[in-house]
Amino acid sequence: MKLTAENIKFIDNYLKNSEVIYYDIRIEMLDHVATAIEQKMQTENLDFYDAFKSYMVVNKKEILKGNKFWSVYSKDTILNFLKFLMHPVMIMTGLSFYFFYENIEITNYFSESFTIRNLFFVVMMILAFFQLIYFHLILKQRFFVLEKLGGLLAIIYYLQMFFMNQHEDETPSIITLTLFSYVMIAYLLYFIKEVYKFNTYKKQFVL
Amino acid sequence: MKNSQLYKGSLNTIIMKLLEEQHRMYGYEITQKVKEITKGELNITEGALYPALHKLEAEGLLDVEVEKVDNRLRKYYKLTEKGTTETVNRLAELEEFIKNMQTIVNPKLSY
Repeated sequence: MKLTAENIKFIDNYLKNSEVIYYDIRIEMLDHVATAIEQKMQTENLDFYDAFKSYMVVNKKEILKGNKFWSVYSKDTILNFLKFLMHPVMIMTGLSFYFFYENIEITNYFSESFTIRNLFFVVMMILAFFQLIYFHLILKQRFFVLEKLGGLLAIIYYLQMFFMNQHEDETPSIITLTLFSYVMIAYLLYFIKEVYKFNTYKKQFVL
Repeated sequence: MKNSQLYKGSLNTIIMKLLEEQHRMYGYEITQKVKEITKGELNITEGALYPALHKLEAEGLLDVEVEKVDNRLRKYYKLTEKGTTETVNRLAELEEFIKNMQTIVNPKLSY
């Protein structure tokens, strides 16, 4: 017995109300629940709502466990980003930053009211703001596969706060500047790469 | 999952073995297939299955295909080339483990 579009919408709303906010995670849960209900309707000769209730009473906790598992601070995302950092092109970029900071007196280009620390902060805020607009206004649906990148940016932000602001009166060392320029450029490129990959992925998720 | 501590470590290998045989499967189908093969003895829960599938996907061992089925979308998983090679390794590892466990649990006494 197949579920109608209305039944599917009902399950989708139920999952949405149970805080399964990411679309890509929800469609998989939705299919799982729908298939189980179809089978229940057939084997136990129940109508949709009875089968739904009977299934959810037993399985709701287990189904929603799959939602709690997700955290934007995913180990796999961090590992993939670290791998990306080790790419020869990225290493070359890092080295270029080092030679740049060693040969150019960057403090000449900044003033006391706008230091290089401020520049890093502004770049990071622009990135975060752009992501926020992209995730919430342009995409309209929330996709975990993309939002987990926000976790990476948050980690870079905390590291930057910790390493760049240790000695307020001094310019950060060449190594610190190189490291953060490298990581931020890498993050930007990684984000573009993932958005590109995501656009192919997203096409599959259209009903 | 029945006696979860014992089965937990083998869940990924179980999934990969099934995908090797079936070419591609979706989540619910995997839970039902395991139940059917083990005659209801082993029940993979949703809370264990999907995190395992997504982890294997992130590791590049599984690939995903999404298709429209009966008013909804269905996510199928299949092994990548890397996943196929890894399945052989993991199955060999599991067999070795079972052999060692058998030796420990049921040692043949030699006189």
